[in-house]
Amino acid sequence: MIGFGSGAATPLILTALALVLAGPAPAWLARSAWPSRVPRAALVLWQALALAALLSALGAGLSVGTLAVLNERPGTGMLILHGLAFAFTVLVLARLLWSAHTLGVSLRARRRRHRQLVDLLGRDDRRAPGAHILEAPSPFAYCVPGLQSRLVVSSSALEALGDDELRAVLEHERAHSRARHDLVLEGFTALHNAFPRVVRSRAALDSAAGLVEMLADDAARRRTGALPLGRALARLAGAPVPAGAMGSGSVTPLARIQRLAAPGDEVHRSLAAAVYAGAAAIVTVPTLTVAAPWLAELSAYV
Amino acid sequence: MEYLWSRDDAATVRQVHEALSSTREIAYTTVMTVLDRLAKKGSVQQLRDGRAYLYRPAFTRDELTAELMHEALGTVDGADRASALVRFIDTASADDAAALRAALAEIARRETSS
Repeated sequence: MIGFGSGAATPLILTALALVLAGPAPAWLARSAWPSRVPRAALVLWQALALAALLSALGAGLSVGTLAVLNERPGTGMLILHGLAFAFTVLVLARLLWSAHTLGVSLRARRRRHRQLVDLLGRDDRRAPGAHILEAPSPFAYCVPGLQSRLVVSSSALEALGDDELRAVLEHERAHSRARHDLVLEGFTALHNAFPRVVRSRAALDSAAGLVEMLADDAARRRTGALPLGRALARLAGAPVPAGAMGSGSVTPLARIQRLAAPGDEVHRSLAAAVYAGAAAIVTVPTLTVAAPWLAELSAYV
Repeated sequence: MEYLWSRDDAATVRQVHEALSSTREIAYTTVMTVLDRLAKKGSVQQLRDGRAYLYRPAFTRDELTAELMHEALGTVDGADRASALVRFIDTASADDAAALRAALAEIARRETSS
């Protein structure tokens, strides 16, 4: 097989690929309208994009390192340049792992504490089985994700919602905690935090947050119908939301209601299939065409 | 916990048990275990009084509520602003009521026509 990546070209191709996958590709995906029709496939595509960008970047750095080592008479300039590129790659990876670790530790501690407080202060209500009711003037509903998840509804949300609307809200939150959407978002948050403020973009994180809302909406719609869920969204749309959670890419209640008025996901099977295929290609094609020849070359030396 | 909050002073396991068993069937040892666990979690303070333990809330109800609402309403300060919770609505919405009503009417229309 004739690879693109023979010799010195490998790091260049991988770097170019990483840049495209980290810049224009997410920007295009975030602007597109079709992901809201196939949220599950789109979420997989986002994950594939993130993984492929990361692998390309790491591959570029590592192949640069091996190039310098394999060269029989490397010049001093080459050694320094390649050494720097290699060190940079290691730094990026270390930052990512550290970001994931600190985020995980802090989120788990905050959730554990919050669960404890909810158990102490919440009360039960016949209308919302399985949920903890908190006395609060603003209407809100959320879940505390984790292995021992908690559903929380504020007393004023309980008053504002009709029985079927309340059921739709609870089904939406149960879908979040059942599918562990928090883990998906945690991954994108860790990736987001790992990059310096000037270069990072919220596109992936915001889009993923919007897509998991749509997935939970779809799950609730299947159980309670679209109308109760739409009404619940409209009733709670005016509630104050956390300052940190406002993202341009996140999906607004209005967009979610409009989406409920459109046909369900069963209509878009072929689009979903195409997106899944694209996601698989993004991860596998660079590996096979660029990384594999480089690895083969490497093993020939060893 | 409610009973401890309703008292001004610390209570013994027996006092808590008496208060609780007036409304429901509950074993003395259960009360003891629960109080012990709450003490380990830091929710109540355990004070030694001779041979018995006295319990009192480590924080007032208001203090805990304030802390809870901080996280629930997303006003936590800190380096990582990531939300620990997954909310039903997490986006500030400037949507006006008319647009929301129109979108709802569209769902209703679709459901009745299908």
